[in-house]
Amino acid sequence: MNQYEIFETKERVTADNDREADKVRSALTDRNVFLVNLMSSPGAGKTTTLVRTINALKDQYRIGVMEADVDSDVDAKTIAETGAKVIQLHTGGSCHMDADMTERGLEKMGFDDVDVVFLENVGNLVCPAEFDVGAAKKVMILSVPEGDDKPLKYPLMFKVSDVMIENKIDVAPIFDYDFDKAEQRARALNPKIQCFRLSSLKGDGFEAWVDWLHKEIEEWRKR
Amino acid sequence: MKIIELHESVTASNDRDADALRKKMKDEGTLLINVMSSPGSGKTTLLSATINALKDEMKIGVMEADIDSAVDAERMEALGVESIQVHTDGMCHMDAGMTEEGLKSMKVDNDLVFLENVGNLICPAEFDTGAGKKVMILSVPEGDDKPLKYPLMFGESDVLVISKIDALPYFNFSLEACKKRAKQLNPAIQIFPVSAKTGEGMDAWISWLKEAVRTWKEEN
Repeated sequence: MNQYEIFETKERVTADNDREADKVRSALTDRNVFLVNLMSSPGAGKTTTLVRTINALKDQYRIGVMEADVDSDVDAKTIAETGAKVIQLHTGGSCHMDADMTERGLEKMGFDDVDVVFLENVGNLVCPAEFDVGAAKKVMILSVPEGDDKPLKYPLMFKVSDVMIENKIDVAPIFDYDFDKAEQRARALNPKIQCFRLSSLKGDGFEAWVDWLHKEIEEWRKR
Repeated sequence: MKIIELHESVTASNDRDADALRKKMKDEGTLLINVMSSPGSGKTTLLSATINALKDEMKIGVMEADIDSAVDAERMEALGVESIQVHTDGMCHMDAGMTEEGLKSMKVDNDLVFLENVGNLICPAEFDTGAGKKVMILSVPEGDDKPLKYPLMFGESDVLVISKIDALPYFNFSLEACKKRAKQLNPAIQIFPVSAKTGEGMDAWISWLKEAVRTWKEEN
């Protein structure tokens, strides 16, 4: 028998978070609010994607956005112009959102004022993948300029996501990015991942993504 | 190729370890450069072009830090310089203890060692690895607003390399706005706009590196 106790700190932190995330998810289910956790590297186009997505859905749903940033509120200003309800969360230097921070954000937002909430996570392909925030769906964005090898280098993010959006397809001709290769690599990690190739800036390919999202929201609301 | 599995150092003071490592590297005459950026901003491509420009003049080593995989180290090895791959076991950054552990597997007589940190603009900024210089890369497609959103990284770095400038015509990126925002956070920061693909701007960056290696050795 061990003479001392071994305390797996990290495991403990994520296990506590998982319990908290289940609580958030069940509160969202009770109140019929669909939460999307949107993750990517810095500069992959989370905010631009959100703006176009909100504009496509805002006539059907009341939309809320939680902007998580280490600092600053540049994104919240951009999102507010769509008319969506926005709150800015500062993580105080933390590199990801967790379930508890998300719950506090949602309380601030007011569960009863929104049908669909997007959490724009901190720009990071590593840490946010480890923390379930209680979202109905996890969506990650990989932008063409980042390269098709990213699933090899940040496997967890691709493993845990329901959707991979391949953004900035409008600049594909000037970058050496192989869509089939990127998708093969993502599917090798996560056979169920849905892939959408689009340009949030120009709008190409956007319809398939919005249709998917719309269908998922309706399914969630029927539960 | 060597692959080394690392775990976060359980140490009270990362800064103390970092200072000790920096001093050791100084005594050995090796300049360690901590290279940081977002995923996909071109760390490996910039390093490849840099190494090709310098490898006939000095001995160079590369330590590739990744959560997993060995794709980058394989690319480095193809350049003919000493290359090791370290795995951070899921960790989002390198710290001083992990860096020292990785360096133990390298030869001691390198003039210049690049630590290619995990692709992340947040956590690596908080951890001094013991490097002599910190270099960060921001690529044009990421946008000129990044200094506003990840201020610590820009505040901590000695050099900002703005990469992929060949793509400037296709993106709404203002070099002037980006430089201004970076200088506001860090007036001493050196800025080099480059394209590793076309070679534009590479000369100034290479000259800075040569000078940095020379000074590091001379001040010994």
